[in-house]
Amino acid sequence: MARDLAIDLGTANTLVYMKGRGIVLNEPSVIALNRQTGEVLATGREAWQMIGRTPGYIVAVRPLRGGAITDFEITERMIRLLLQRVGVSRFTRPKVVICVPSAITEVERRAVTDAARRAGAADAQLIEQPMAAAIGADLPIDEPVGNMVIDIGGGTSETAVISLGGIVALEAVRVGSFDMDAAIQAYVRREHGIAIGERTAEEVKVAIGSADPTDDENQAEVRGRDLMSGLPKTVILTPEEIRLAIDDVISSITASVVRCLSKAPPELAQDFLVRGMYLVGGGGLLRGLAQRIERETQVPVKMSTMPLEAVVMGAGHCIEHYDALKTMFMGARR
Amino acid sequence: MTYVIGAAAVALLVVIGLIAYTRRPRQDAGLTSFRRHIDALSPESRREILDRARPLQDGEDDDSGDTPQESAD
Repeated sequence: MARDLAIDLGTANTLVYMKGRGIVLNEPSVIALNRQTGEVLATGREAWQMIGRTPGYIVAVRPLRGGAITDFEITERMIRLLLQRVGVSRFTRPKVVICVPSAITEVERRAVTDAARRAGAADAQLIEQPMAAAIGADLPIDEPVGNMVIDIGGGTSETAVISLGGIVALEAVRVGSFDMDAAIQAYVRREHGIAIGERTAEEVKVAIGSADPTDDENQAEVRGRDLMSGLPKTVILTPEEIRLAIDDVISSITASVVRCLSKAPPELAQDFLVRGMYLVGGGGLLRGLAQRIERETQVPVKMSTMPLEAVVMGAGHCIEHYDALKTMFMGARR
Repeated sequence: MTYVIGAAAVALLVVIGLIAYTRRPRQDAGLTSFRRHIDALSPESRREILDRARPLQDGEDDDSGDTPQESAD
């Protein structure tokens, strides 16, 4: 008998929670394929290490962008391989709860559920990421108080106000930490005349990136290809430059948080000032982001204790209490 | 014969009545369902799941790989 699963199918990482066990898989959402034969060569961490370093016949891709499936066939193959790795076979078909961005369209929803069913799931239900994040972040969402959660993922950033087990206000933008990486790549190309890869840009962001000035600031030495000569070149980047590069993305995220606050009923708004907002998701780990949001909203911002796992833990709770919580699934409320 | 048909009809009506009674929406159905929903979201209910995540957090190893070289400001 298959154990039911909860999947956080993120743009950056895929996490799988198995009923009764906990998190059994946490890998980058990347798949490497042989361009000529279409065979899968690697998935997860192994495929991630290939990004930007493959010979012509191999392609390492992220099949999700902005939280939505960009290549249905590749996503299905990736889900099938991930499910196989956690023990799902054609004879053991589990129920699956999948976390998706709240802003996805009906077509995108259908693409996700179809991909999961074709990959071996007996039934696939969807839950909004901010709701799952609030459950996983251990917020008191069963009480009649305003709980605010900001989930910053690889391709989407979502802010939700939750009370009495339901979403009261919601705001989502299709920008996330990958857009910060792209902004860094564009800045380095424009200002220093060198081309750097997606992974290098991410590493620069992790090493010296920040949304607001911080106490310990270092410079980073970055190597890339000179656009004029075509030769390898090294440049020094400062934290101020990175802040400037990613400012548009950060402004877009903070603006969506402000819009969500303005949608919240006044009775709940006063709760935020006392209880604060909770930041989850990998993008939330950017240095100075909590301070920047706090400065622009005048509301305290706290970091969740498990920012990377909160979403899948919340979905895992839904799979553990499937019957009691099935009204929370996206299709159930239509 | 008439008595038999009459008794069968009465029995049938009783069965239909019972089925209709059990299938009718109960007035407290929404109340019960909402209570279950809220109870399933309580901190006590979530404790087990969150406890299950903690060993994973403690056991996580740093595989950040080749980050760029940092130089002191």
